[in-house]
Amino acid sequence: MGSQGGFGQSKEFLDLIKSIGESRSKAEEDRIVLREVETLKVRLNDPNTPKYKLKEYIIRLLYVEMLGHDASFGYIHAVKMTHDENLLLKRTGYLAVTLFLNEDHDLIILIVNTIQKDLKSDNFLVVCAALNAVCRLINEETIPAVLPQVVDLLGHQKEAVRKKAVMALHRFSQKAPGSVSHLVSNFRKKLCDNDPGVMGAALCPLFDLINADVDKYKDLAVSFVNILKQVAERRLPKSYDYHQMPAPFIQIKLLKILSLLGTGDKKASEQMYTIVGDIMRKCDSTSNIGNAILYESICCVSSLHPNPKLLEAAADAIAKFLKSDSHNLKYLGIDALTRLIKINPEIAEQHQLAVIDCLEDPDDTLKRKTFDLLYKMTSSSNVEVIVDRMIEYMISINDSHYKTEIASRCVELAEQFAPNNQWFIQTMNKVFEHAADLVNAKVAHNLMKLIAEGFGEDDDTADSQLRSSAVESYLRIMGEPKLPSAFLQVICWVLGEYGIADGKYSASYIIGKLCDVAEAHPDDDTVKAYAVTGIMKIYSFEIASGNPVDLLPECQSLIEEMLASHSTDLQQRAYELQSIFTLDARAVKKIMPMDSTCDDIEIDKNLSFLDGYVQQAIENGAQPYIPESERLGISSISDFRSHDVHEPSTHALRFEAYELPKPSLPHNIPPVLASSTELVPVEPSYVIDIPHPTSAPSASDTGSSELKLRLDGVQKKWGRPTYSSPAPSSSSTDLVKVQNEAPRPDSASSSKPKTRDSSYDSRKQQTEIPPEKQRLAASLFGGSSKSEGRQPPSQKNSKTQNHTSDKSRSSKASAPDTAVKPSQPPPDLLDLGEPSIASSVPSVDPFKQFEGLFDFTQETTPASTGGVDGASKDSDFTSLFADMSLSAQSNIDPNPESNGLGGSKVEPTSPQLNKGPNLKEALEKDALVRQVGVTPSGQNPNLFKDLLG
Amino acid sequence: MIRGVIIMNDQGKPRLIKFYEFQPPEKQQELVRSIYRVLCSRAENVSNFIKADSLFGPDVRLVYKTFATLYFVFIFDKSENELAVIDLMQVFVETLNKCFREVCELDIVFNFYKVHTILDEIIMGGQVLETSSEEVASAVDAISRPLSLSLSLPLSLRVCVCARALVSSCEWVLRCNRHLLLQLSLRVLEHGAQKYLWLNSTECFFSSLYFLLFRFV
Repeated sequence: MGSQGGFGQSKEFLDLIKSIGESRSKAEEDRIVLREVETLKVRLNDPNTPKYKLKEYIIRLLYVEMLGHDASFGYIHAVKMTHDENLLLKRTGYLAVTLFLNEDHDLIILIVNTIQKDLKSDNFLVVCAALNAVCRLINEETIPAVLPQVVDLLGHQKEAVRKKAVMALHRFSQKAPGSVSHLVSNFRKKLCDNDPGVMGAALCPLFDLINADVDKYKDLAVSFVNILKQVAERRLPKSYDYHQMPAPFIQIKLLKILSLLGTGDKKASEQMYTIVGDIMRKCDSTSNIGNAILYESICCVSSLHPNPKLLEAAADAIAKFLKSDSHNLKYLGIDALTRLIKINPEIAEQHQLAVIDCLEDPDDTLKRKTFDLLYKMTSSSNVEVIVDRMIEYMISINDSHYKTEIASRCVELAEQFAPNNQWFIQTMNKVFEHAADLVNAKVAHNLMKLIAEGFGEDDDTADSQLRSSAVESYLRIMGEPKLPSAFLQVICWVLGEYGIADGKYSASYIIGKLCDVAEAHPDDDTVKAYAVTGIMKIYSFEIASGNPVDLLPECQSLIEEMLASHSTDLQQRAYELQSIFTLDARAVKKIMPMDSTCDDIEIDKNLSFLDGYVQQAIENGAQPYIPESERLGISSISDFRSHDVHEPSTHALRFEAYELPKPSLPHNIPPVLASSTELVPVEPSYVIDIPHPTSAPSASDTGSSELKLRLDGVQKKWGRPTYSSPAPSSSSTDLVKVQNEAPRPDSASSSKPKTRDSSYDSRKQQTEIPPEKQRLAASLFGGSSKSEGRQPPSQKNSKTQNHTSDKSRSSKASAPDTAVKPSQPPPDLLDLGEPSIASSVPSVDPFKQFEGLFDFTQETTPASTGGVDGASKDSDFTSLFADMSLSAQSNIDPNPESNGLGGSKVEPTSPQLNKGPNLKEALEKDALVRQVGVTPSGQNPNLFKDLLG
Repeated sequence: MIRGVIIMNDQGKPRLIKFYEFQPPEKQQELVRSIYRVLCSRAENVSNFIKADSLFGPDVRLVYKTFATLYFVFIFDKSENELAVIDLMQVFVETLNKCFREVCELDIVFNFYKVHTILDEIIMGGQVLETSSEEVASAVDAISRPLSLSLSLPLSLRVCVCARALVSSCEWVLRCNRHLLLQLSLRVLEHGAQKYLWLNSTECFFSSLYFLLFRFV
């Protein structure tokens, strides 16, 4: 059975596999494998083991490692095996080392020499094996050792070798772009290799290179378009067909490249419209691969400069995808839709029902893709529905990775598009409740900042409404068990800051609640710190306003517990709270001003108010202060290091440019006093992280400004839409709430708890009511038609033609005489026939020429293709790929750069050529045949007759 | 690029693991396990795609397909087309079928070395190298042939094998480099067949045929 593959495994191996297959438990399997490992250890180390046995042992070792057991004892044997002469043993060795070793392994150094030798081997199979190994084993340091050989192989006679050499070079450029940057031109050259397979291989590195830097390769756009055209017109040999599609994998790669080149480039895009349109039309949408091409074309269309015709075709194709029964196609349809709505938001509307279907599909992948789509098409009009859906889904899944992603998306959308405060706070509550520990800590700080600052506008009532509604909701929520820590922190902070602000709740009620929180989370120091600071704030507000204050018993016990806490932070906070009670109202007012989170605190960075005190101390004989830097100079290195950790910005190497000097901050002295009265209690470790208004100005070292997130932008977007929607979409359902610039009367009235509740509930109900998809669709898509398209599709079609003709004219002008023989730009493509032409243009960049030639070929008549009669049918393409191994015979090599390449290839072959008596004649005939077509199969028997007489 | 290829059976036992970026063995096992968990949770008749960014980083997807008792899994990033990868998988399986005649799980277990060889001809360094199953099959043939030929078979038998290979891989042979063939064929005529048969028997044999046709037709 299994041995029919012909690689001849022994009975032992079969038995091993069988016994593993039959083992009933993991433990049993492990026992068997461990026994096998022991056997292999003994046998591999036995010097008398015959080689062919050794090969099998290595294979068994591979098998053992695949099952998850350590096989490192045998690595060295695999390495040894690569040195073997026998090809199969060598291949086994190479396979083993590629699977066993990583490219930084110590043993690699023992292989590099073998690889070098094998790359030069006469046997192309050995070369292929070595190239395979090169891809996996060579790292940045060893690239130079094999680079020359690999480059030489680009000119190998076998197309399989050339192909693999291109791939190996690609791999090098992935691993260490610098090491091969001077060889990039080789990839370009290989584009016009006479074997389509090699050309296809060259597309891979070019795709990556273009992805990295589009502008360098703009000139190739025309060539790619032409290649794609020829592929689509079935000019490639039949063997490249796959399921009746001409070379689909090459087409897909080309389309990918075109979409990179055409992105944001109108001129380049215009050159591509025709061919992309053709391909979309020709696609066979019944086969899988046909759909793959179709999908790729849609992706291409969506990244090109918009063209109405193509967009329409793309929309049709998407409709087909979405209507299909296949989940794969639906998935691609949704994905394509996501791409297309960036250009044309209206397109989603036609497919609303299909999208809703996908949203309710049992297939998780499809669902997630659909959420991606919804995320992209969210606007202020449908944000509520979408975010509600997302939260619903978020709650239902367990995958924490995706939960995090979707939670942060919810937050992002809510921050961007929230129609009103209540909704925003409710949404954030829900997100925090279920995923607070997964979202970024900054989100919590954003929320606090938002509540503190309100709209940042002059309307105070709206702000206080926002706050009291937040307090309201938090008081309701905080009783629930298992709230995430980050959420509790927000709750404590808000309660401390605004709990008694609107006078609805008594101080003791809030303090009691905060004490409860602290008690309920004995292990969470951060929450406790937030709670105790909240308590302190409430007490100081009470003291400051002159109310009689009595220390609650539970608060008293909390303070006592914290005074003995291991956490110094908690201790300090407790002491501060205690000392508040000993102060009088005036002092407390000074320390803890009411509602002052947004006030800027001016900090005297020089601590000038201490000058007198310092002066006095020095007069009394104290040591003057020595700046830190000087002290560090004499301290030990370890000290320096630990210091470094704390203040990287002051001492570490700075990589960013120097910023403008800030006159107000001569030294980066930490704001000593302010920190103890910080309103936001936080662990010292992430003080900088807090985008807190009071601490912001003081702690503004280099990093803090960027750490503050994009809060400001968010605020603006949220409070007042930065873009002007043409008509605040009054469309359809009540769900659609318009972004309000100023609080509307109804939302103003909702500050009273009951009305707000009911309004929220009713809204919620309505989102639940439309299980009928129509309603949902309406709320999802209804508004999208109103939102303006950012890029109205351009109508300029005529320019396309103008441009292309211009281009071809210019290229004609530049290369009229060189174009007699189309597509022979790189010197090694030179044919015997036209040595003079080739040598006359050595200084011209071969690729410029190539472009020109491509354009030219479209217009030249087939007759111009030189002396090859009857070749007109596939002249331009076949000559492009015409076999050119003949160049071995020609000694003309106009381009000195390629001498190294071509020369080394030519030398060994030419003496052999002269051996046979009538070789030359035969070769010439062969050359003619090759010019006629890559496959001189039965297609053109007449030609053969003509040529060969 | 393609990050890796995994074949495992429906019990989650790996049959072939190949990553194009090195992964330590423990990590490989972990990945296989977590992929298997995901695959198990998938209902029937759903798409073949899975977002795998939690396992492999942003924008990495995997495509899987079941063939009898085996899961074939390809892991790749956004520079590949999902549907095309399904077809690539198809090519891979077709090639396996060609090389093993009605491939089954046992073939792959017993001959995973050969499966690696086949895969190496399809994907190299994470890039798609060849997508024609005939091409791949004949390349694999070329690799395994010299072994079976050099294993002390009589010459006549070798020629037989050559002839069979020639017939089965006609298309491929037509596309190979005729220049080399010509050269070889001349030398074959000069020195007799034996000397070069071991080098690349298929090609040699064909070249002499081709040469004869060429000259005398």
